[in-house]
Amino acid sequence: MAATRRLQKELGDIRNSGLKSFRDIQVDETNILTWQGLIVPENAPYNKGAFKIEINFPAEYPFKPPKINFKTKIYHPNIDEKGQVCLPIISAENWKPATKTDQVIQALVALVNEPEPEHPLRGDLAEEYLKDKKKFTKNAEEYTKKHSEKRPAD
Amino acid sequence: MEDTMTSSQGGESDMDCSDNEYYDEYYYTLNDDIDIEQIDPRKIDPEYFEFNCLFEEQVDRLLNETVETLSNMHQISPSLAKVLLHSHQWNIQEVTRKFKENPTQTLIASRIKPPSPPISLTFSRYINCPVCVTSQSFDKFYSLSCAHMFCKDCWTMHFEVQINQGISTSIACMARECKVLAPEDFVLKHLHRPNMREKYQQFSFQDYVKSHPELKFCPGPNCSIVVHSQEPKAKRTTCSQCKTIFCFRCGCDYHAPTECQVIKKWLTKCADDSETANYISAHTKDCPKCHICIEKNGGCNHMQCYNCKHDFCWMCLGDWKSHGSEYYECSRYRENPNIAHESVHAQAREALKKYLHYYERWENHSKSLKLEEQTLEKLRSRINQKVMSGLGTWIDWQYLFTAANLLAKCRYTLQYTYPYAYYMDGGSRKELFEYQQAQLEAEIENLSWKIERAETTDRGDLENQMDIAEKRRTTLLKDFLDV
Repeated sequence: MAATRRLQKELGDIRNSGLKSFRDIQVDETNILTWQGLIVPENAPYNKGAFKIEINFPAEYPFKPPKINFKTKIYHPNIDEKGQVCLPIISAENWKPATKTDQVIQALVALVNEPEPEHPLRGDLAEEYLKDKKKFTKNAEEYTKKHSEKRPAD
Repeated sequence: MEDTMTSSQGGESDMDCSDNEYYDEYYYTLNDDIDIEQIDPRKIDPEYFEFNCLFEEQVDRLLNETVETLSNMHQISPSLAKVLLHSHQWNIQEVTRKFKENPTQTLIASRIKPPSPPISLTFSRYINCPVCVTSQSFDKFYSLSCAHMFCKDCWTMHFEVQINQGISTSIACMARECKVLAPEDFVLKHLHRPNMREKYQQFSFQDYVKSHPELKFCPGPNCSIVVHSQEPKAKRTTCSQCKTIFCFRCGCDYHAPTECQVIKKWLTKCADDSETANYISAHTKDCPKCHICIEKNGGCNHMQCYNCKHDFCWMCLGDWKSHGSEYYECSRYRENPNIAHESVHAQAREALKKYLHYYERWENHSKSLKLEEQTLEKLRSRINQKVMSGLGTWIDWQYLFTAANLLAKCRYTLQYTYPYAYYMDGGSRKELFEYQQAQLEAEIENLSWKIERAETTDRGDLENQMDIAEKRRTTLLKDFLDV
């Protein structure tokens, strides 16, 4: 299967690259189509914790895009309560087979660090973000402290 | 075999609804050898429209002629000519003008070439495909004008996945952020399964027709006809195969004198407010004089109570006597002149009242159209009986069908005058419109009344009434159909 070969290569490359913002990648030996990992943001208010995500690759990968889900609750205009995220790089219309998973992850980390309230999944949070940034930051920080995963030591 | 079916509308070829004037014109020209100047049908008939109904092969031929012309003119492959034309709504003059001005920029804007010249650094015999990460010999690799190399199996897979999602003319290169499009010859070179090639061609055909302003798919169910007109306007189009009647511009039900955007707004509003409007759907009302319950079973809105013989209007329940006169006010909505100073609550009530006024009339004429269809059926069986029992021939009674068809056509236009009036700004133009609308409505109800009583109505009288109704309809369209 084309997907397996390519994913093995990508997984190896990402593990070797030593990305600081995406760590603890766990992949079941029997199913390379599902990855789990930890997003570790640098910017406030999300730099008080880490967020577990799951990446699901379709059988037609890389001709169809992967799907990303947050497993840790997060207070973010572009990520909804179910953990779904709106990331243009992996939308069906924009997807390119030559796009690599590390580019997808970098785009995701950038979005977590810098929310894009112009095309939100959660309108209420986007409004708060635009109208009362202080309140938003405070809420997001509290939410992060309460719900997020522990950040890796180093 | 050339099987184009040319038809024009308005001055219809069927016997159904032409103005007597046209017959006279035709008659004189044929028989009396009088040199009458050719009359431009566009000037007489506001709904006149020239179009052809084409089969798929004919559309293909039409598109290919344009492709060949452009391809020969600029020495480019037909495949690239297609991409250029598709991105310019098949406007060959526009493509040529831009191409002469700045060929490179035109090719970039049409996504045939990449914005900056490609850098290709591959000289080795083996390349690693970035998509499937397999190393293969150089001759297995292909690229578009952007020089992004991928192996042929990946191209095939990419195209198949895209086509299965209904994408055809907009399939792009596989490289990240590369916008270069895969032209038809490149795609077909990599598609080997016959059903995939067929699907691809079918989807791109649909894309081409949709991007071509002079072509429209017939909206009829399971109909594959494409209508071609060189003046793409919001005019009445009748499919030669399935007989669906639609507006050429928007493909929805024909809606003169209302414009495409306005009718869309109106239909959305009606759908949104369907609950509010539902209560109107009653088929019974009480006679305004003796209060006996009356069920409406015909299309005519001029009602006569079977009990007390009172003549009244179904719509406004007013005395019918006032409907034929200068004081006809039933179709007109009287706005409260002081509404701007009223409370928000009162304004909302007024807005609803206004909408319901127009909606009731719109809905009522639509119902009348359906009821009049039933009248026509009854008429048909009565005529059959007459012919069987020797009372005239089938041809003798033909004028009744002509009358019923004309009535349907007039009432259809009348129905569509209500959304037009609803969205019209107040002023003298609206007054004129409502005056003409009222006139048309009165004549239509007279015609409907006479058709329902066909056997007791004098033929001359009926034909006279038909003439008046159609003249009112044409006058209104001439003044207000703005296409």
